[in-house]
Amino acid sequence: MESTILKSENFSAWFGENQVLKKINIEIPRNNIVAVMGPSGCGKTTFIRCVNRMHELTNDTHVEGTIFYTKNDIYKMDPIILRRFIGMVFQRPNPFPTMSIYQNVIAGYTLNGASLRKPEKDELVEDSLKKAALWDEVKDMLHRKGTFLSGGQQQRLCIARALAMKPEILLLDEPTSALDPISTAKIEELLFDLKKNYTLLIVTHNMQQAGRVSDKTAFFYLGELIEYNDTKEIFTNPKNEKTQNYITGRFG
Amino acid sequence: MTHLDSELQLLKGECISMWNLVLLQINKTQDSLLRFDKDLAREVVLNEKRVNAYELKIDRDCENIFALFNPVAVDLRFVLAVLKINNNLERTGDIAEGIGKFIVFTETSFDKNLLEVAQVIKMFNEATSMLAEVLTAFEKEDTALARSVFKQDEVLDNINLKANSVIADFIRKNPDKLEQALYILSTIRKLERVGDQVKNIAEEIIFYVEAKVLKHKKDK
Amino acid sequence: MERGIQIRKYKNIVLKTGVVLFTVIVTLPLLLVLLYIFKRGISAISWDFLANLPKPVGETGGGIFNALIGSAIIIGIAALIAIPFGVSIGVYLSEFRKTKLAYWTLLSVDVLQGIPSIVIGIVIYLWIVKTMGSFSALSGSIALSLMMLPSIIKSTEETLKLIPDSLKEASLSLGVPYYRTILKVILPAGISGILSGVMLGIARIAGETAPLLFTAFGNPFTNTNILKPMASLPLVIFNYAISPYDEWHELAWGAAFLLILFILLLNTLTKLAEKKWRVQF
Repeated sequence: MESTILKSENFSAWFGENQVLKKINIEIPRNNIVAVMGPSGCGKTTFIRCVNRMHELTNDTHVEGTIFYTKNDIYKMDPIILRRFIGMVFQRPNPFPTMSIYQNVIAGYTLNGASLRKPEKDELVEDSLKKAALWDEVKDMLHRKGTFLSGGQQQRLCIARALAMKPEILLLDEPTSALDPISTAKIEELLFDLKKNYTLLIVTHNMQQAGRVSDKTAFFYLGELIEYNDTKEIFTNPKNEKTQNYITGRFG
Repeated sequence: MTHLDSELQLLKGECISMWNLVLLQINKTQDSLLRFDKDLAREVVLNEKRVNAYELKIDRDCENIFALFNPVAVDLRFVLAVLKINNNLERTGDIAEGIGKFIVFTETSFDKNLLEVAQVIKMFNEATSMLAEVLTAFEKEDTALARSVFKQDEVLDNINLKANSVIADFIRKNPDKLEQALYILSTIRKLERVGDQVKNIAEEIIFYVEAKVLKHKKDK
Repeated sequence: MERGIQIRKYKNIVLKTGVVLFTVIVTLPLLLVLLYIFKRGISAISWDFLANLPKPVGETGGGIFNALIGSAIIIGIAALIAIPFGVSIGVYLSEFRKTKLAYWTLLSVDVLQGIPSIVIGIVIYLWIVKTMGSFSALSGSIALSLMMLPSIIKSTEETLKLIPDSLKEASLSLGVPYYRTILKVILPAGISGILSGVMLGIARIAGETAPLLFTAFGNPFTNTNILKPMASLPLVIFNYAISPYDEWHELAWGAAFLLILFILLLNTLTKLAEKKWRVQF
C-alpha cells in the first residue's frame, strides 16, 4: 500500500483580505509525482509554497486548517527544520552566484555552518550531481561558477543542491518554464528517475508536462481544488467539466 | 531511454504477447480440426476472452499514450499502427474462435479426404506462417519481410477461389457429408479473411516504419 | 519632404556639436586645475617632505609626516565607525522597504547628505568636543563618519535591491536561517556595490576640512592618541595656504597634490573592484 506523506485538511490561505486557497483537502502518496495545474492565479504556487512555509516571506499572510507532513503538523514545526525535509526548486534557476558548482551543491550545509570533512563533501557532491543527472557534464569543472552553466544545467544544479539536503519531498515550482525544450525533456526524465526515492510535487502551466511526468494530477481553479485523481483519469476521463474545459484548452 | 520510449516498449510487448496468443489460437484450431479434438476446440473458444482482454488493454494503453504523451512523428505512427493492428489481431482471434465453434458443433469427425482436396491444412499453414512473418517484421521493423506476405496471400486467394467447385464436387460424391463440407467451406472463407487481416497488418507496419500509405493501392 | 529631412539633419548636427562643445568646456578647466596642482605639487614632493615634521617659520624644508599619519588614523576610524552602521542600515532599508521606519530613515539619510559639512562640524563640536573638554581625533572621525554614512547606506541599499529575491528564497528553502541568509548569501552577492560605496565615501571625506576645524583641530607634532588633537592633510593645506609664507605655500601645494593623488587612486580602485567582484545572476 502507498502511504501518505503529505496531507492537507481544510487548508485555507489569505494574502491580506484576499483568500487565495479555499479549504484544500489533498493527500499526497509517498514516491509519487503529483502535478498541480490550473490557470494563473488559481493558487497552485501558493499551495506548494505553503507546504514548506515559504509563503511566510510575503507580508500579511495567514492560514487556517493544517497540513501534515507524515504525522506532524507543519505549522507546529520549526520552518527551518521543515525545509530540510521538504526541498524546493524554483521557476528560474537560482544557483548562488558567488559560489562554484561544488560549493553550490553543498551550500545547504555550509550556509548552515555545518562542517563536513573533505571526503564527505566530495561524496555528497558527486552523489547529488549524479542523482540530478549533471555529474557527467560538470565533473571536470566543479570549481567554475554555477552561473557559468546553461539554464537547463543550472536548474539541475539547483535540484542537486536540494537533493544534497536529503529531503523526503521535493517541491518544484514550474521548474522548466524558463528552459528550452531539450533541457525541459532532460529535467522531466530526471523527475521520473527521482520518483524512486522522493515524493515530488510539481506546479506546472504545461498540461503536456503534467501528463508526461505525473502519477496524479490536482486541478486548482480560483483557489479551490476542483479535481484530484490519477493523471490517466484526469486526461482521459475528467469528472468535472471545468477540468475538461481546462485540459482541452476551452477555458473561459 | 525516455519515459515515452519505455511506454512504447511496453505497448510493443503487449502487442507481441497478444500476437503470440492469436497465433497459438490458430494453431490449436488447426490441431483440433486435424484430430477432431472438441476439448481443444472448446479451449480455443474460451481463450477468445483473453484475446478480447488484450484488445481492451491495448486500446486503453494507446488512449493513455495519446492523452499523456502527445506522441509525434514515428511515435505517433507507431501508436496509430498498434491501435489498428490490435483491431486486426482481435478479428483474427475471432476467426479462430469461429472455426473452433464449427468443430464443437460438428457431430462426426471430418473426412480426411475432404480436408485433403479442399487444402484446408495448407491454408492453415500458410495463414500461420504469414501471421508469424509479419510478427517478425513488426518486431524487427522489417518492411521487406512485411511486403513478402502480399505474395503469400495469393496462395490463400487461389485456394479460396477453387473452393466452391471442390466442395460442390465433394458434396455430389458424398451427399451424406453435406453439413461438414459446408463447415469446411466456411472455414476456408474465414481463413481467406485471415490473409486479408495479415495484409492490413503488413500495411500498418509499412505505414509506421516508412510513413507510406499502401491502403487501397493496386501496386504494392 | 526633402527640405524637412535636410532641416532635421542640420538640427541633428547642431545638437551633436553643442553637446560635445559643452562637455569640452566643462572638462577642460577641470583638467587644467589638475594639471596645475600636479605641476606645483610634484616639485614639493621629496623624501624629506613625506618623512619630516613641519619646521618653524623661517627655516627651510620640513614635511607633513604628522598630517599623513593623522589623516590615515582619522579616516580609518571614521570608516570603522561608518561601515557597520551604514551596511546595517542599508540592509534594513532593502529588506524592510515598506515599513514606516524605513521611510523616515531614508528621508533622514537624504537630509544628512544635504547638510553642509561645517554644520556637522559644529554639531560634533557641541556634542563631543565640549563634553569631553578637548579637541580630539576621535571627534573628527565621528564627524567624518557621519558624512560617509549616506554614501554607504545608499550604495548598500541600491545594490541589495538589485539582488533577485530568488536568491534569498534559494537559501531559505535549504533551511538556512534568515540572519545567515543575509550574512552569507545576500551580502557577498552585493559586495562590489557595498565596497564601491565605502570607497567613494572615503574619497569624499578625505578632502573634508570644515568639520575637522572644530574637532581634530590640527597638531604640529606627530600624535597617535586619538583623544588628542591631530593633524590631517586638508587641515595642513588650509592652514598653510592662508599663511603669508612662501615656503608654507609650497608645502600646501605638495599636500594638495598628495590628497588628489589619493582620491584618484581610490576612484580607480573602486572601478577595478566593481569589475572584479561583480556578480552575475
